[in-house]
Amino acid sequence: MYYPEPISKLIDSFTKLPGIGPKTAVRLAFFVLNMQEDDVMEFAQSLISAKRELTHCSICGHITDMDPCAICQDQSRDSSVICVVQDSKDVIAMEKMKEYHGKYHVLHGAISPMDGIGPEDINVPSLLNRLKDEEVKELILATNPNIEGEATAMYISRLVKPSGIKTTRIAHGLPVGGDLEYADEVTLSKALEGRREL
Amino acid sequence: MHIEQLQLKNYRNYPELDISFHNKINVIIGENAQGKTNLMEAIYLLAFTKSHRTSHEKELIRWDQDFAKVSGTIQKRNRQLPLEIIISSKGKKAKLNRIEQKRLSDYIGTLNVVMFAPEDLALVKGAPQLRRRFIDMELGQIQPTYIYHLGQYQKVLKQRNHLLKHLQRGQTSDRTMLQVLTEQLVDHAAVILKRRFQFLDLLNKWAAPIHSGISREMEQLDIKYRATVEVLEEADKAKIEIAYLDKFLKLQDNEIDRGTTLVGPHRDDLAFIVNGKDVQVYGSQGQQRTTALSIKLAELELISNEVGEYPVLLLDDVLSELDDYRQSHLLHTIQGKVQTFVSTTSVDGIHHETLDKADIFRVTDGKVEA
Repeated sequence: MYYPEPISKLIDSFTKLPGIGPKTAVRLAFFVLNMQEDDVMEFAQSLISAKRELTHCSICGHITDMDPCAICQDQSRDSSVICVVQDSKDVIAMEKMKEYHGKYHVLHGAISPMDGIGPEDINVPSLLNRLKDEEVKELILATNPNIEGEATAMYISRLVKPSGIKTTRIAHGLPVGGDLEYADEVTLSKALEGRREL
Repeated sequence: MHIEQLQLKNYRNYPELDISFHNKINVIIGENAQGKTNLMEAIYLLAFTKSHRTSHEKELIRWDQDFAKVSGTIQKRNRQLPLEIIISSKGKKAKLNRIEQKRLSDYIGTLNVVMFAPEDLALVKGAPQLRRRFIDMELGQIQPTYIYHLGQYQKVLKQRNHLLKHLQRGQTSDRTMLQVLTEQLVDHAAVILKRRFQFLDLLNKWAAPIHSGISREMEQLDIKYRATVEVLEEADKAKIEIAYLDKFLKLQDNEIDRGTTLVGPHRDDLAFIVNGKDVQVYGSQGQQRTTALSIKLAELELISNEVGEYPVLLLDDVLSELDDYRQSHLLHTIQGKVQTFVSTTSVDGIHHETLDKADIFRVTDGKVEA
């Protein structure tokens, strides 16, 4: 290698991050060399603490620094509604909306027999336990609108239906503010399928 | 529609190529292994983003190079459209009007191509997958959403087959997931079957008179769709879904025993009936060839009717496989209206006014001379 070892190690570490190729890794590594030492220390510290101090909430599975997480502890939230999502990032997306005041359940994946992922490999059993213990009236299934996400939503609704809890699936169709003419055929046909009476 | 210009870079045995086509009929002449079929394949790739010969796309990249590029300009509805396909180790990019298309279904169908190669003569006699592939390719280029449903169907099918294998080996006993995947599968299967029925209906309308013409009014052709589920061709999507669900319910234990999905569009087939008899079983080789030719010619008409313009026709090494009468019938049909690329080792022995007016391109070792 043309680089001294410390910097080539740093480059290698950056390359491990998603979306970072060799060129970007070199640029980032050299940028770090020119940063203030305090900033670099803080950066290194936050990397370590993010890894060490964060765990998954024992109730909902969301990433948190305390257990149970802030959302699960929040008494003002409506605990009769649970929104089921695939990923912690989905919780953040829902929270940004500021219109949902129920609780969450993070599955950490979707059922995919092809990849050897069954219901017990994601947070489905813990969801079923929650439904037994808590007073839940509605389960909103907000898994991704692809084959695996759809199958996971259908699967959960099958298991939950007998208990009488209302299960709903988020709608899919046209993006708000978009133009009809630019929508692709598949999205358009889904939107037509999910039309409702005014 | 027609192709005005074609450029290749690092494609198979072509380091670099840039040719323009001015004429309707273009004859590509060369010895074996000089790159005739590679040229045909490149045009096919520009239309379908796939090769008709291989599913290993890295083979398309010239030896020791890291990417292959096929680009061209087509004329469609009096508008010029640049198309481009790039294949590299990272994957494939399809650009339409210089803009990358994330979904291949947004790209496919821009350039319509019908290919007739020696393999197609086996369309009647060969394995069922050849016939399914034929329907899928043709339907795909006239209905982009068909490709979407087919893709989704294949993904669910893969998931379902894996789950059936897990059930077979006793790794799981969860039948709820099987029901979920069955419903997902049936949702797409019903759309696919419905569209295939409609396509067959159209194909029959065009193929019957053409076949009767080629056979000098001696033969009546009827193409039948053999579905793995009992359902009427005019049934709506909901009825087809019910038929599938019933069948899957009956077959459930059997499917688990075998560890695979036993019914669905991926197991359907076509039958070609001439004068009441199945040509696949009872037809002579001549009849099978006539049938294959009728279907290809019917495709030209069908696409022209659906899209509003004739597709580009690729005749790869197939002219010499047909007898004089069929040759002249074919050449007469395309005369003056369909842009055609004919590849052959020699034009000797083929006498037809259509070929006399053609532009000749000679291919030697990855180079083309007009």
